[in-house]
Amino acid sequence: MADERDQRAERFERFLDTLLAGNRPSPDDVEDRDEAEMARLAAEITGAVRVDRAEPDPAFVEQLRLRMRAADEGIDAVQVPPPVRGPAPEPQGRSTWRLSRRQLLQGGIGAAAGLAAGVIGVSLTPRADETPNIGGDDDLVAGEGFWVEVAQMADLPVGTAVRFSTMAFDGYIVNDAGEVRALSSVCPHMGCTLHYRPEWEDLRCPCHGASFDMTGRLANGRRAWREQPYRGDARAYPIELPDLVRPRVKVEDGAVLVWTAQA
Amino acid sequence: MSSGPGRFEQVYSEHVVGIYRFVYARVGNRPDAEDLTAQVFVRAVEQLDTTRQPGQIAAWLYRVAQNAIADYWRAFYRLQVVGVDHVAPGWEPADDGARRREPPDERATIRVETLLGDLPDRYRRVLELRFLQRMSVAETAQAMGITSGNAKVLQYRALRKAALIGETTDG
Repeated sequence: MADERDQRAERFERFLDTLLAGNRPSPDDVEDRDEAEMARLAAEITGAVRVDRAEPDPAFVEQLRLRMRAADEGIDAVQVPPPVRGPAPEPQGRSTWRLSRRQLLQGGIGAAAGLAAGVIGVSLTPRADETPNIGGDDDLVAGEGFWVEVAQMADLPVGTAVRFSTMAFDGYIVNDAGEVRALSSVCPHMGCTLHYRPEWEDLRCPCHGASFDMTGRLANGRRAWREQPYRGDARAYPIELPDLVRPRVKVEDGAVLVWTAQA
Repeated sequence: MSSGPGRFEQVYSEHVVGIYRFVYARVGNRPDAEDLTAQVFVRAVEQLDTTRQPGQIAAWLYRVAQNAIADYWRAFYRLQVVGVDHVAPGWEPADDGARRREPPDERATIRVETLLGDLPDRYRRVLELRFLQRMSVAETAQAMGITSGNAKVLQYRALRKAALIGETTDG
């Protein structure tokens, strides 16, 4: 029985050590209801004596403030340019897009801006151009437009990424184990420019540390974290973010082309 | 349900520090305090009617914070239902700005002092060294002239004892 007590004390020390170091403790280090009481007490004592951490981090406060501001702005309307229909568009004024408060919060400002950029032609079916695309989001980036050459396959070995820029889009062409994909380089959180980290094969946001995998999905969010902590990160990225926008892309004669909505 | 521009930001500016302190005093670490604070304000954007009286808005926010904290601890209690009173003893709805100007949760500080004071000497000592002197287990063991293993057991028993005392004084 002494052994079991030692083991419990040992495990509980993991909880305590994490807490006292200022990190997020895990319920896994707490065995039963009694230990939960002890954990809660330890947390309250820590909260009371570590007053140096009792004030919110200004960066955190500002980040959350921007989400509040986005929510305030989202209640009225988000203005986006109208879809362009046909070859000789008439100026049609501005159309109004209503986004729910929830959508805005989930996506943040960056997502709203990204949506505004990506939404051009959103409701139009793809034109006569029947070329199958690779890994693009038809519903986000389809419609009237044309293909633009943005990279050469020769410059794009497996596991690399190159920046590209068209009039509609800033992004990366990535070669993910032989599959070529175009991904927006705009972080859906606050619109910072993602940078490619070849050693991790991810797109990393320099502002708050979101990492996106080569399919454009958030790789270090809390949901993913539950399966497995993300390489090298001390803790999960705290909010869920939508996938990166993926324009249509195709490879022809060794050239990589990206579909660009007509402006 | 509608509100003028900037209402959420205004509510946020008024309450973010108070809510953060409130949460921090009950979870004791910054990452969780930030997550729960964000949850409160995300919830506010979804559900709070900002045209209500300031006092009602404050009460609503603190109630949501209290629930978020209860949910947080529920995971530690293995889904056992935790009475709200139990999670935040003595809490009553915040009604004005006075609470926010207080130094972070004075009641909690007093409670800690009382708790430590009620403990047997060695128990109090081990908790003081770890929580107040911010020593590691190894340093604590050295300061008390015991092994690290013994220090872990001692702090475990001290917290268990303190939790029992806390229960009786709460009730």
